[in-house]
Amino acid sequence: MARALELVIGGLSLGGVYALLAFAMSLTISTTRVLNVAHGVFFVWGGATFVFLSQRLHLHPALALVMLTAIFFVFALLFQWGIVRPLLGRSVHLLLVGSIMATFGLALSMESALGYGWVAFVDPYPVFSSALAMFPVRFGTVSLSGSRLVILAFVLVAVTGFHLFLQKTFLGKGARAMAQNFDGFLVIGLNPYRLSLILFTLAIVATAISGAFYVLAVPLNPYDGLPLTLKSFTVVILAGVGNLPATLVAGAVLGLAEVMTSQFLGTVWAPAVSLAILFLVLVLKPTGLFGKGVY
Amino acid sequence: MLGGLALLCVLPVVLSSSWLLVMFLSFLWLILTANYDVLDGFLGHINLGQGAFFGLGAYVATIVVNVPDVQALGPLAYVVISLAALGIAAAFAAAMAVPLFRLKGLYFAIATLILIFLLQVMALNLTELTGGSYGLYVPPRFFMSTLCGYYLALAVAVLAVGFNWYLSRSTLGLALRCIKGDEDAAGSIGLDPRKYKVIAFVLASVPSAAAGVLFTLNSGFIDPNIALGVERSLLPPLMALLGGTGTVFGPVFGVAIIRAIETIFFHYLRLPVPSMLFFGITLLVVALLIPEGLMKSPWVKRLPVLRTLASS
Repeated sequence: MARALELVIGGLSLGGVYALLAFAMSLTISTTRVLNVAHGVFFVWGGATFVFLSQRLHLHPALALVMLTAIFFVFALLFQWGIVRPLLGRSVHLLLVGSIMATFGLALSMESALGYGWVAFVDPYPVFSSALAMFPVRFGTVSLSGSRLVILAFVLVAVTGFHLFLQKTFLGKGARAMAQNFDGFLVIGLNPYRLSLILFTLAIVATAISGAFYVLAVPLNPYDGLPLTLKSFTVVILAGVGNLPATLVAGAVLGLAEVMTSQFLGTVWAPAVSLAILFLVLVLKPTGLFGKGVY
Repeated sequence: MLGGLALLCVLPVVLSSSWLLVMFLSFLWLILTANYDVLDGFLGHINLGQGAFFGLGAYVATIVVNVPDVQALGPLAYVVISLAALGIAAAFAAAMAVPLFRLKGLYFAIATLILIFLLQVMALNLTELTGGSYGLYVPPRFFMSTLCGYYLALAVAVLAVGFNWYLSRSTLGLALRCIKGDEDAAGSIGLDPRKYKVIAFVLASVPSAAAGVLFTLNSGFIDPNIALGVERSLLPPLMALLGGTGTVFGPVFGVAIIRAIETIFFHYLRLPVPSMLFFGITLLVVALLIPEGLMKSPWVKRLPVLRTLASS
C-alpha cells in the first residue's frame, strides 16, 4: 500500500512537471506557431543553474531562485529578439522550417555547451541534482519523499498562476485572442511582437524554475533536453494544443505511465513510453484525446 | 558536372587513406541529404527521421552477416546482406508512410523524429538481437576496404542525386511538386497524393539504408550511438537547407561545405570545441539568415557558374 502510494505520488509529481513544461510550450505554439525545440534544454539549464548557484556558490535556495529568474529573464529576451522575432514575418512553411531548424540548432549548441562546460569547469561528472529537500514526510505509517511533495505543491501553484493569468489579466486575454483568431487580434490593434515577447519570457522563465524544482527529486544530465522536449510535446498533443485542464490530465497520465513502466517492465523501457504514446496519438488522433480547445 | 564526376573517379589515386575515409563518409552524408531533399524539396515535408533508415540498414546488415548460414555463402553473402537490409528498410518505410502521411507540417516533423528515438530505444534494449549498448561487430573477413567503399558510396550517391535530378524533370517530380503546392488541387486533377507520398518516402529510404550497409561493412562495428545518433537525422536537413532545398545540386554544395569545415576544424586543426556546438550554431545561423539556402539566395545567384547549375 505504502509502495503504491509512493508510486502514485512519484508519477503525479513527474506528470505535473511534464504538464507545466507542456503548458508553457502549448502557450507559445498556439499564439506564435513557433515550435521551440530548445524548450526541454531551457528546463535542463534551469536545473543546472540552480544546482550551480545553490551548491557551488553556496547561495541560499531562495536567493538562487531569484537569481535564476533574473538570468532566464535576460535569456528569454535574447531568445525572442534573436530567434523568434526574425521568424515571425515568414510564410507558413518557412516559419515552420525556420523555427524547427533554428531552435534545434540552439538546442544542440546549448546542450553541448552545458555538457562540455560543466565537465571542463565545474565537475567531471555532469549530473545535476540537488539534495536540499530530500527529507521524508510521514503520514502515520506511510513515509513519502518530501521533495516530491514540494514539486507537487509548486506545480499546483504554477498551474493556478497560469490559469489566472490567462483568464483574468488583460495580457492573458490578449494571448487567448492571438491563439483563437490572429487576424482579429491584429484588427483591434494589438501588437503581436510585444505579446510574443511577454509570452516567451513567461514560458522560458517558468520552464527554468520548473527545472530547478525538478532536480530536487530527479537528477538531470546535460543531454536530457531533447527527450524532455519530446515528452512535453507528447503531453501537448495528447491534450490538444491550448487546452489547460486536459494538459494537466495528460501530464499525469504520462507521468504515471512512465513510473508504472519502470516499476513493472524495468527502467530501460521508460523512455519508450512517451515515444510510443506520442506516435500512437499523432497517428490515430492528431487533434488530441480531448478535442481541440483554445484555452 | 561530368568532369567533376570523372575527377571523383580518379581521385583515390592521389588521396591518402585518411582523406579517402573522409570522402567515403562525405558520400554517405550526401546520400542521406539527397534523400532528405526528396521529401523536403519536392514534397514539402520536413522529415527528421532520415537517419532511422541509415541505422536500420546498418543494423539489419550487421545482424544478418553474423548468421552462420549467411557467412557460409562466401561472396554471395554480400548480396543477401544488401537485399535483406534494403528490403527491410523499404518495408519499414512503406509501413510507416501510411500513418505518417496522415500528418503534415509540424506534426509530421515530430512524428518522424520519433522514429529514430524509437529505433534507438529498441536497439539499446533488444540485447539478444542488437547487443544493446555494447553494439555489434562485423566478422573481419567481411570487412570492406575503404577504396571499395569509396566507389560503391560514390555510385549510390550518384544514384541518389540522379534520382533528384530525374524528379526535377519528370512527371513523377512534377506530381510531387504539385502536391507540395496545393494538395487539394492536386487531388482534384486526379493525382492520388497518398500514393505519390508513399512512393517518394519508400524510394528515398532505400539509398539511405544502402549507406548504412556500406558504413557498417567498412567500420566493422556499430552501436546505437554510432548508427542511430540523432545527428544522422539532423545533419541532412542542415546540409540540405544550407545548399538550398528543391535544387538538385543544393544538397551537394551543402554537404561539401559542412564536411569541409568539419574536416578542417575538427580533424585537422582539432579545435577544442565540441562539434555539436558548431553544428548547432551553424544550423541556427542558416535558418535565420539564409532560409532558402545558398542556391536560391540572391548574392549566390550572381555567380555565373552556380547560376547555370541552379537552373539545370
